[in-house]
Amino acid sequence: MSLRRSSALVGAVALALAVTGCGSSDGDKADSGKGGTRVFAADNGKIKIPADPKRVVATGYAVPAMIEAEAPLVGISSWKRGEPMMSKKDLATYKKLPKVAGEAASETNYEAVAEAEPDLIVIGVPAPVLGDIDVKRLESIAPVVAIGPTVPSAWRDLSRKQADAAGSLKTFDTVKEKYDAKAAGLAKKYEKALSGIEFGHLGAYGEVAKGTFQREFGRSWGTNIAEDVGATYYGKVKKPGPGSRAVSEYPSIEELPASLREADAITYTVNADGSVPPSVKYVMDSKLWKNLPAVKAKKTFPIRYTEAATYGQAMQTLDAIDTSFAPLLKR
Amino acid sequence: MTAGSRTAEAAGTRRAVPRAGLLAGGLVLLAAVAVVSIGVGARPIPPAEVVRALLHFQGTDDHVIVRDVRAPRALLAVAVGAALAVAGALIQTLARNPLAEPGILGVTAGAGFAITLGSGVGLAAGQTGQLGCALVGSVLAALLVAAVGRRSPLRLVLTGVALTAVLNGVALGMRMMLPDVFDAYRFWSVGSLAAREQAPLALPLTAIAVSLAGALLLSRALNALALGENVAHSLGAGVGRVRGAALVLITVLSGAATAVAGPILFVGLMVPHLVRRPAAGSVPWLILYSMVLGPVLLLIADMGSRVLLPTGEVPVAIVTAFLGGPMLIWAVRRHGAGAL
Repeated sequence: MSLRRSSALVGAVALALAVTGCGSSDGDKADSGKGGTRVFAADNGKIKIPADPKRVVATGYAVPAMIEAEAPLVGISSWKRGEPMMSKKDLATYKKLPKVAGEAASETNYEAVAEAEPDLIVIGVPAPVLGDIDVKRLESIAPVVAIGPTVPSAWRDLSRKQADAAGSLKTFDTVKEKYDAKAAGLAKKYEKALSGIEFGHLGAYGEVAKGTFQREFGRSWGTNIAEDVGATYYGKVKKPGPGSRAVSEYPSIEELPASLREADAITYTVNADGSVPPSVKYVMDSKLWKNLPAVKAKKTFPIRYTEAATYGQAMQTLDAIDTSFAPLLKR
Repeated sequence: MTAGSRTAEAAGTRRAVPRAGLLAGGLVLLAAVAVVSIGVGARPIPPAEVVRALLHFQGTDDHVIVRDVRAPRALLAVAVGAALAVAGALIQTLARNPLAEPGILGVTAGAGFAITLGSGVGLAAGQTGQLGCALVGSVLAALLVAAVGRRSPLRLVLTGVALTAVLNGVALGMRMMLPDVFDAYRFWSVGSLAAREQAPLALPLTAIAVSLAGALLLSRALNALALGENVAHSLGAGVGRVRGAALVLITVLSGAATAVAGPILFVGLMVPHLVRRPAAGSVPWLILYSMVLGPVLLLIADMGSRVLLPTGEVPVAIVTAFLGGPMLIWAVRRHGAGAL
């Protein structure tokens, strides 16, 4: 290809990008609001964002947090895993909002994001998954802040940051206060009953096909809210990894006795409807489980809504824990 | 007894003692490998404790692991290894094609398609559902191939290849459109023996045991067929009847093995090649040796799958593929093209 033809092609592509709004010009962006801009510290650096955003796109874990905080959303990613934990009002909002991305980060529909004309994009995916998203392309549409999950218990800080980015802290703080009050009440209620008990937790992300189970420790999905009630989870991961791998591991079922033999009581994850997930049932059907001291002593407690990642959802988890722990008060 | 089987039997008489000795040695090796395999895993258990757990069960954690997790797994490895190896020996004899393996009847593709379809309509949830779907899919696919291609080995192979391509294509399309289905399929698609101890294995294991006995009974008649259709006819063998019975046995053996363990492709191709030379042209010995070496190979591969990576198990199908390639090349180099 000659130099002249190459230059002509580059010129044509640049023109096409400018016409379709994929360029980096500010001219086509939506109004950034009255309050000007501010600098926001996110996973992807210090980003200049609107002080009072009016049109926000949220993806991943940011979706339930920002719906709950009543952020001015104009587009969201699909978030099926969170649907069972949403309130009726939040679920209606979730269903009504245009979906600009699928469940996976790689399923982001960049044209749909551009069509939503956001003035802020909040990406709530873990840092390693951020590589699946063309952040530069999104930045050509609106400022992008990445606020993704790390250790499961960090949802408290992350959801606050997400609400803060969208300028919705007021609603967020109201829900948080309710949660804190409820957790404090339950901690008082179960203070004596939980005293001296060391818990272990069986999570739902083991893989039956591989013969593994998920052992969760403190600050993990299945344990962090029960810890707010006063439950103590003993032990730690043998070889900590990034994110949730810092607080949970996936050993072979043969290691079940070594992993949970010392537990005075065991909590285990169940689905939102109370049914036992296949990965948990696989463990509970094994004789190794039935041989555990806590199981023989009938000190096992199902916990629903363990994937809660907002204060509103965590209120449901508190209710579920209250129901599950109730027999402890009679002992 | 047919004239063909009498001829083969006479030819093999002088080798009977060494062959029997080799078989006895193979059985001892199989027993030793089985005991060692029960001791290997995430929690090492000494062979003496393994034997104690099997003979004097006391209910300790180690004994429960041996009796409830590892012994069923070893039994499964023996059954699946024997089923795939014997199915491979039968299909290679029947098709008179050294590259034939049980999957050529569309068994693997049929099982994969049925699991994909079953996951889509909610029938393949859990181990029982997957087992049922895989069994039905593999048997139906093999029956279809056998019905269309029963007249000649070439037609059988071509029909199997064509049906496999169609089923794989349709199943792939469904998995691409339905992410949940893809998720359910991906674990099954790499054959493994892990975590099958709670699955309902009585029916497939019984079917495998009966079919293995059937293969031994049929093996003398297959000796005549191995010489070619015309020769078999002239020797008075009932070609159609023998071929039909062999197809049924191959279908049940490979269908049941694929249903319980997923696709483990290399065993059916490799084991018959490895034992062909000591069998010296005798189909009964070929089947007997395959019945012993198949389980030995799968038990060793399964031990490897448990200890190769410190992070967790590697599916056994990956280990057999790693072992299978070099072993097949070794067999060809050691024994030349005649080995095939």
